[in-house]
Amino acid sequence: MKKIININFQGRVIPIEESAYDILQDYIVSLRGYFAYEESRDEIINDIESRIAELFSDRLKRTTTCITDDDVNTVIASIGRPADLEEAEGTQSSGTTATKAAPDDEHKAFQAEAGTESTTSRRLFRSENDKILGGVSAGLGHYFGIDPTIMRLLFVLFMFMGFGLLLYVVLWIVVPATQLNINVRKRLFRNPEVRMLGGIAGGISAYLNIDVLIPRLLFLAPFILGVLANIFRVGGINFDPVPNFFFKGFGGTFLIVYIILWIVLPEATTATEKLEMRGEKVDLESIKKTVKEEFETLKVRAEKFGGELKDRAETIGQDLKKGRQHLASETAPVVRRTRSGLGHAIGLLFKAFFLFIAGVIIFTLVTALVALLFSGVGAFPFKDFLLNGFWQNFLAWTTLILFLGIPIIALLTWLIRRVMGVRSTNHYLGYSFGSLWIIGLVCALLLTGSIARNFRSKTSVKENVLINQPSNGKLAIKVTEGNVKYYGSDWFGFSGDLPFFSKNEDSIMMNTVRVKLIKSADSQYHVYAVKFSNGNTPAVAEDLANKIVFPVNQSDSVLYLPKGFTITQRDKFRNQQVMVIVETPLGKIIEVDRNVDSYNWFNINVNRRNGWNSGWDERWDNSYYWNSNREYLMTSDGLKDMKNEMDNERKKYERSRKQRNREFEDDTRSNGNQDENDNSEGGYRYKDSNRKRDTVIIIQKDTSKPVENTKSVRQEIKKVTDKHGSSSDAPKALYTLLTVF
Amino acid sequence: MNIENTQSQMRKGILEFCILSIIRRGEAYPSDIVEEMKASNLNILEGTLYPLLTRLKNAAMLNYRWVESNSGPPRKYFLLTEKGEAFYQELESTWNELANAVNTLANKKDSITPPDASL
Repeated sequence: MKKIININFQGRVIPIEESAYDILQDYIVSLRGYFAYEESRDEIINDIESRIAELFSDRLKRTTTCITDDDVNTVIASIGRPADLEEAEGTQSSGTTATKAAPDDEHKAFQAEAGTESTTSRRLFRSENDKILGGVSAGLGHYFGIDPTIMRLLFVLFMFMGFGLLLYVVLWIVVPATQLNINVRKRLFRNPEVRMLGGIAGGISAYLNIDVLIPRLLFLAPFILGVLANIFRVGGINFDPVPNFFFKGFGGTFLIVYIILWIVLPEATTATEKLEMRGEKVDLESIKKTVKEEFETLKVRAEKFGGELKDRAETIGQDLKKGRQHLASETAPVVRRTRSGLGHAIGLLFKAFFLFIAGVIIFTLVTALVALLFSGVGAFPFKDFLLNGFWQNFLAWTTLILFLGIPIIALLTWLIRRVMGVRSTNHYLGYSFGSLWIIGLVCALLLTGSIARNFRSKTSVKENVLINQPSNGKLAIKVTEGNVKYYGSDWFGFSGDLPFFSKNEDSIMMNTVRVKLIKSADSQYHVYAVKFSNGNTPAVAEDLANKIVFPVNQSDSVLYLPKGFTITQRDKFRNQQVMVIVETPLGKIIEVDRNVDSYNWFNINVNRRNGWNSGWDERWDNSYYWNSNREYLMTSDGLKDMKNEMDNERKKYERSRKQRNREFEDDTRSNGNQDENDNSEGGYRYKDSNRKRDTVIIIQKDTSKPVENTKSVRQEIKKVTDKHGSSSDAPKALYTLLTVF
Repeated sequence: MNIENTQSQMRKGILEFCILSIIRRGEAYPSDIVEEMKASNLNILEGTLYPLLTRLKNAAMLNYRWVESNSGPPRKYFLLTEKGEAFYQELESTWNELANAVNTLANKKDSITPPDASL
């Protein structure tokens, strides 16, 4: 008594005994294993399955009401078990190589075949039948007996370290390709049976033979810890902390590793793959197969050796008989073959180059897009200061999601498909991605346009700052050390150089301030604060500029500038700037403190023609360049750095002296031993070229008075400059110094 | 030397040639190919034939077409492409040369006298 089940087999309904069904199932699995490394395995299996179904339905029509064990066995016998197929075809790899070499004559095919047979075991090849890009990883895995997936992961890792891509391309070009039987019994898969998310922890546990909990905890623990820590850290802050814990800290790294593994690892779907995942021998047949293969290899090697000997003897004999004619015909195919080899190499090079370039472009695009996306998100707290009204907000959201988000999703989809080897059958996904992106593009353009309109005109308001003239003829400019408390200098991991920092929820602080030093028209210091703002219309811009509050305080000779100025959500950010103009009278000193450097300045110039307009003083263009923490003296030709003046003169002197020394060294060398004559010409020279440098004696042209040691020269200079006092007179002092000698 | 191995090597070399020569005469269904070969005393398993056909198809030697059958789903019929035809022509000439050579060599009756026998 047997149970009968109905199966839908290749579009036919087949009533089949349960035991017969099991036999059939096992048979299909064994075929799958046999054709595992065939390029179009699925197609072959499919064809065979439909043939079996056809045979079954013939049988059902003619005799029986259901398919029995015997029926299945008859059909299997006519199709052939893997063992029978092997016998008919020889080993699989030799079968394929023979197919490839078929156009050549038997002798060559046999040789080629014997060649690969004997060498596959110990030579490095790229795999042609288990590849994602060039089959390099599979080849390396085969060579070292490691799972190709692990090699793939190593390459990805190396790629992040910088040299992986190059290494891969080089190997791709250098290493020849061949059909490889994978000699690894254990492979890393995603485990569909033990899965929580992608079955990766399950796969790893099966591969390493450990409990699932260990890899699972390893993935989860740092992640959970990270999340918890972040929840505590951002507890008091209102904006979305996602990017922070996503890309910072341990949890994120593990998450990324998990995602990469998810993409890279195949899922163990068939029985064979599941067995491979656990490292168990696939079945009895596979054991038999491996043993037989070993044996065959040995046999073939021996045969090859014998065959080669025979061949050689034969060719020699024939050559003797047929002479040159034969030789010519023999060499022709060889020439043809090498040429095709060269063409192949060029093709490979081109392919590698193309893929390399494509990879670089894609990588750059992805990086740029991710950066854009997250800077977009990062700028989000500022959107209330930038955007005006419902429509701009709506456009901003649409742009962010469609224009920036869609390409990333599309690229990820493409990558996953490429890696998993899934071929898309319909194009609707591409079309919808495309059209959504175009909508996003339109939104981005509209948004840019409408924001640009808000920056259309620029106006400045000049405000005179009343100051008392400093008593000691020197004015110092400092920034008030912050009694303004703020947080958020570490927004989303950016730190430092943002031109703005948050003060509180509905206002931000800008420090787009610049200090310009110019010459005063009279004998007084003057300070102006010029406030700039952009706006939709000049009137709006002026209004916004007027709203900037920038109080300047003075305590005797020190001018204190505020840390920045505040703009509120109502006022919006319209590129507000403050330029502090300090006019210094002639002969007075000005110093700008180092903390003024903490100001940031940037310009958004939307419309040049209508841009800078009212109230712009031409003199501001003639401002002087300054460094912080230096005292400058205002002279008739601009600012003079007081500290540097002396240093500069001394340096200039040193340089010229060195040059002279060098010249006269050359002189000595070129003139050889005519030193007596040279003396009369008054040139510089070493008295004795064997002496050490520091005992050089310099002979001055006019007086011929030697001065020992450069040190004394320096002392002289110092004396003279001290006498003359002011550093601006240094050149004069030098001149006198030289004439004294 | 293993007789089985040599035989299978010999058979394997001409398998594609035989299959192409059958398909060349018109669209063929795989099991018909098997039958035809069996009829001319060349046994082949369908399990060997399918991967061969797929490989030839992937190499653009063959093409296939779905033909409605009176029972069940449509069947895959294979036909020769132009490239396949050219490939076949080359195989045929090679085969003829080979067959000639083998026949003349195998059927020679006169014994080869060793060179030093004449001395």
